[in-house]
Amino acid sequence: MTQNKTYIHDYITIQNNEIVLNGTSVFKIDPTDFADFSKQAYRNFEIQYPKFFKMDALSKLAFLGSELLLSPITVADKENNIALILANKSSSLDTDVKYQESLSNKEDYFPSPAVFVYTLPNICLGEISIRHQLKSENSFFIFDAFNPEFMSNYSNILLNSNKADVVLCGWVEFFNDNYKAFLCTISSEENLKHKNETINTLYNK
Amino acid sequence: MKKGVAITGMGIISSIGNSVEENFDSLLNEKLAITRIEHITTVHADIIKVGEIKKTNSELVDDLKLTAENNFSRTAMIGAYAAKQAVKNAGITSINEYRTGLISATSVGGMDMTEKHYYDYFTNPELVKYISCHDGGDVADKIAEELGIKGLVTTISTACSSAANSIMLGARLIKSGKLDRVIVGGTDALAKFTINGFKTLMILSDDYNKPFDNNRKGLNLGEAAAYLVLESDEVVEKQNKKVLARVSGYGNANDAFHQTASSENGDGAYLAMKKAFEVSGLKPSDIDYINVHGTATPNNDLSEGRAILRIYEDEKVPDFSSTKPFTGHTLAAAAAIEAVYSVLAIQNGVVYPNLNFETPMEEFDLKPHTSLKNKNIEHVLSNSFGFGGNCSTLIFSKS
Repeated sequence: MTQNKTYIHDYITIQNNEIVLNGTSVFKIDPTDFADFSKQAYRNFEIQYPKFFKMDALSKLAFLGSELLLSPITVADKENNIALILANKSSSLDTDVKYQESLSNKEDYFPSPAVFVYTLPNICLGEISIRHQLKSENSFFIFDAFNPEFMSNYSNILLNSNKADVVLCGWVEFFNDNYKAFLCTISSEENLKHKNETINTLYNK
Repeated sequence: MKKGVAITGMGIISSIGNSVEENFDSLLNEKLAITRIEHITTVHADIIKVGEIKKTNSELVDDLKLTAENNFSRTAMIGAYAAKQAVKNAGITSINEYRTGLISATSVGGMDMTEKHYYDYFTNPELVKYISCHDGGDVADKIAEELGIKGLVTTISTACSSAANSIMLGARLIKSGKLDRVIVGGTDALAKFTINGFKTLMILSDDYNKPFDNNRKGLNLGEAAAYLVLESDEVVEKQNKKVLARVSGYGNANDAFHQTASSENGDGAYLAMKKAFEVSGLKPSDIDYINVHGTATPNNDLSEGRAILRIYEDEKVPDFSSTKPFTGHTLAAAAAIEAVYSVLAIQNGVVYPNLNFETPMEEFDLKPHTSLKNKNIEHVLSNSFGFGGNCSTLIFSKS
């Protein structure tokens, strides 16, 4: 396998009521909860995708990040071979806990299939795939902390083995209204915008 | 055509039999085993029909010689039961003699135990062990322990394509030289979790399931476990082993449509089959029999049928049938039991009947094969499609 150099193209960070795209703040509001923040962000970017409102918080977070990175580079009616490699620490625990609460009382339980389908972290990959019609490779990992070496390696293997033209990778963590998303797109196409950066330095910015 | 990875052993337990021989006998003699549920108390007992393994948990405990204090879930027990058969069938006496792994698929894991003890374990510490066997990985660990495997042990859970993906991963590990031998397959016991879940999705039939029939009403759930032993050509040669058949192709694709439904035109299914043909180097016309996923839900059969028609374009679609009228849909074990049936089809030159079929679907001109047919079979294609749009295809070939 040839080891072609790979390049970071765009990156996005979502945390503390703010969205930062390629180092520039593109959306910021006064402190509020994530439900409100995500709704305002959706409106701000004039996203037209009603399914967004059915998603759980983790999927909304991953969706918003990927929306700003992928919408400019995906082409309708064409195969977009963009692999998705995401990770976090709390899996889908935020939704798991809500679901568990809905069935914890033996006499009065009310589990909802609409909540249940989000009790897996990789569902957020499915939501992104459905949105952008990606039939490409995807995987979701659970790590104690952001693992840039793993992410770089995995992305490079996918690109160098021609399994993907572009990799969207990153971290989407959500639990109890604490959240952070960091996503970036990587490909073999030369891009010197972030030549002195790695996904680790960008994550920590 | 490329050679493919050798299959040297098989083991199975399903509602139609406790061994490979019993399963084959049922398939030949149209002995389906869809009945009222006996082992689970459920409010749906009078409405649904299931493919239930009639051995009780205590019979399985005895069969496996487990201690009274064991915390095996039913999924782990039927899994260990089938995996042991497979290892024996492959003539393996010293499991760690070669680099041997286990890749086990499950979707419900130890859910049956959790359902029993969920509301009591907080206050009764003695019950905690039944909750700790809940996760899917526990099933693989227990089977590995029963087999004495010290190498790679991992679990795949991608809903109804799980076992296909475990067979695929195993074949890739052999091909890439990471393992010499690997036991691959899947296991899922019936549980309220799946009964209620599928009921809520309104895809359970109250009658016998009728795959590819215009009046199909949904699926019958089933429980089963099956495992195959895959071995490298080096190990096969060294031990002068009999090769039952080969895994010659595999493909997995993402349907990118919906959490619990397939796309109307079967995009993921089409891509999975296409990839499997690429890996095998075979053409669609080389396939003698397709063991379709054929769950008998309105959505699956339409989507799968369209995908097959796209693969075959203007060519004739080979004989195809779903074996789910015999066994029910056994979820994460489905691709494993159907792999066993595919190998048996190759070994014995038979196409199984698609039972319960009466009326062709109005959307297309596709009729499953409805009676037992003897003919030479070189290559079988087997489909398995899971929730989340996880679509997989395997191709098995005569050795």
